[in-house]
Amino acid sequence: MTNLPQTTSTLPVSGLKSRVLRHKGMMIGSTIVVFVVLLALLAPLIAPHDPYQQDLLNRLKPPVWDPRGSWEHIFGTDHLGRDYLSRLIYGSRISLLIGIGAALISGVIGTFLGVMAGYFGGRVDMVVTFLITVRLSMPVVLVALAVVAIVGGSLQVVIGVLGLLLWDRFAVVMRSSTLQIRSMDYVTAARAVGCSTTRILMTEVMPNVVNNLIVIATLEIAHAIILEAALSFLGLGVQPPLPSWGLMVSEGKDMMLFEPWLITIPGVALFALVLSVNLLGDGMRDVTAPENRN
Amino acid sequence: MKNKNFVLSLIGALAATMMYSPAYADKSSDTLNIAIDRELESIDNYYNTAREGIVISRMIWDGLLYRDPATNEYIPNLATSYEWIDSKTLQFDLRSDVNFHNGEKFDADDVVFTMNYLADPANGAKPARNVNWWSNAEKLGDYKVQLNLKTEFPAALEFLSGPVVMYPNEYYGEVGPEGMALNPVGTGPYMVTSVEPGKRYKFSKYAGYHSGSPKGSASIGKIVIRTIAESNTQLAELFSGGIDWIWKVKPDQAQRVEAQGNFTVKNSSTMRIGYLNFDASGRHGENPMNDVRVRKAIAHSINREGIVEALVQGESIVVNSLCFPTQFGCTQDVAKYDYNPEKAKELLAEAGYPNGFETPFLAYRNRDYAEAMINNLNAVGITVKFTYLKYAAFRDKVQDGGSPFNFGTWGSYSINDVSAITSHFQRGGKDDYSRDSEVMENLKTGDTSVDLAVRKDAYKKALSRIAEEVFMFPLWSYNTNYAFSKDLNFNPTPDEIPRFFTATWK
Repeated sequence: MTNLPQTTSTLPVSGLKSRVLRHKGMMIGSTIVVFVVLLALLAPLIAPHDPYQQDLLNRLKPPVWDPRGSWEHIFGTDHLGRDYLSRLIYGSRISLLIGIGAALISGVIGTFLGVMAGYFGGRVDMVVTFLITVRLSMPVVLVALAVVAIVGGSLQVVIGVLGLLLWDRFAVVMRSSTLQIRSMDYVTAARAVGCSTTRILMTEVMPNVVNNLIVIATLEIAHAIILEAALSFLGLGVQPPLPSWGLMVSEGKDMMLFEPWLITIPGVALFALVLSVNLLGDGMRDVTAPENRN
Repeated sequence: MKNKNFVLSLIGALAATMMYSPAYADKSSDTLNIAIDRELESIDNYYNTAREGIVISRMIWDGLLYRDPATNEYIPNLATSYEWIDSKTLQFDLRSDVNFHNGEKFDADDVVFTMNYLADPANGAKPARNVNWWSNAEKLGDYKVQLNLKTEFPAALEFLSGPVVMYPNEYYGEVGPEGMALNPVGTGPYMVTSVEPGKRYKFSKYAGYHSGSPKGSASIGKIVIRTIAESNTQLAELFSGGIDWIWKVKPDQAQRVEAQGNFTVKNSSTMRIGYLNFDASGRHGENPMNDVRVRKAIAHSINREGIVEALVQGESIVVNSLCFPTQFGCTQDVAKYDYNPEKAKELLAEAGYPNGFETPFLAYRNRDYAEAMINNLNAVGITVKFTYLKYAAFRDKVQDGGSPFNFGTWGSYSINDVSAITSHFQRGGKDDYSRDSEVMENLKTGDTSVDLAVRKDAYKKALSRIAEEVFMFPLWSYNTNYAFSKDLNFNPTPDEIPRFFTATWK
């Protein structure tokens, strides 16, 4: 019996650690995400060239693995002679900024609405459910396209528009999670001893829904990154000369029959980042709630 | 190289198999398959402003005159002769041996009907500038008509030999614009056999085409024009043999297609020129562009030669005057601004911007050219807030006075006269951001005089002042790349109107 407290305090942590290490998807995902985050943070130190520096005499140089390529420009140069690797590295900043920024805004909106609806129920729930239904009836890409076309594309606008459009999944999940938790004994007990609603929400409800929140956030980060790429591809996302990966695909598409690497390189980067964020999200769900794993 | 060709052919074949319908093109079936990149709203000549519509119009209809693209000489077509009675009256003798595709006889009634129909603003023919310069037409005989102009209009012959074509009075009176758009009838070298609006148009050679036409009889039996919006899909169709002719091929793509050796690639200069437009008069409010020193600094900061060489390519040239060199009245003998970033910095410092400034910058096409110019501007300390818009949004914003600085282009509707560009931008219209009285007065003189020397002199004064004050900064002329089957003889013309009735099979 003397060892019991020690055992109960260490088992969940070591269990979590071993589950994380054993989860291949999460390990792959987190490795790639960490790699991209480091690229984004250390871009000025890592990038071999200025991503904005044009060299019109050295346009469309192929990557190093092509016989015409050189180590001077490992991933070649784009249609304005800018170093493709440097633009790719700086582009990771744009993708992460938009993904995290949009997920943050939508997370705040969705969590607030979902928790309110789940905790209070009744008319509040009715109104929030109506808002969610309205939001779900709007096609995200079309609304984003229309808004950006009217307001004009910029980094801030894209983050804002996506943030205001992607809160529905947060709201739905937070609402159902809060509905379950509000009927738990410890919430009833907190209410019985006279805790304020704010305190109950912050200390009893939120800590118990935060796992779901993180999982949804990772999915929405990936979703926002893909949407930004789509908007930029259509010329309505971030504006040149910012090096967005979607914009790089768009700029390279005219030459895709002749120089396919122009779209393959940013395309693969986009694919890898979105896949890894999703793997990380799935992994977090699995390791934090192993009973739900399938 | 062989491997690369194989891969390209494979990609082309794969893309072609994904298309919704097979193509039966080529010399053996005497069918020329053409791809265009836009859906035409109508192929009625007077309810269409797209260039592809103009191309189709030249196939179906004829004008009273025809401008020889090689000599720029005005030659009678449906007319046999013309005469200026005075500076506002034109008389035409008409051909008596012309029939429309539906068998209707061409005579003075058709000309009078067409001209009076177009002169009525209630009918909404567009673009209005093509049809708003005469008051009416009168019948003087079965084959003789008189055109009464509202005012002196020196470019009348240019319009009568291009965009103003003759319609059959009985048929058009019966079916109207909707009927004409679905089943067009004209006197031109090709007759329409099928119209799928916005999608596909089929033509066959008009056997009864009048022999005296300066256009000449068509050689190729059938033409099919299809809309394929995406340039890569067009190329894939070309590689797979589904399409024989495409145009507007991007310079880099054209280089690669030519390098394959399987297709003919031709480049031709066009009348379109690029320009930077500045808010010299403060229409947008107080901003750095109000200062001529800033405008001159920007002119010195742009490396036009470098951009033409690397990006625009082809037969494009740097232009110093706000017009295309072949246009009547155009002179390049005006103030010139060489690429000189140091001079630009000095001018900016003189204007009170030693560290540069930030300005909004709009564009609607050629994002890469715009980015190259932004790079040049950054180098002298000018940072821009770049907004890239669709053309309609760009045009509305500019015309509403919402842009102190923008990059645009103008094709002059292929009208070979300075009035089609300089007067459009600098005679007080919606696009005029300088509103300079001296320029406007000179342009008015040039636009309304029939004395060629007076016109030339007036336009020179206007163009010189525009260049001196840098109200607008001309950049370069544009060019078009054409890629087509090696079985085809086709010669592009500088007015950017492909004449398929002159094309032949080898």
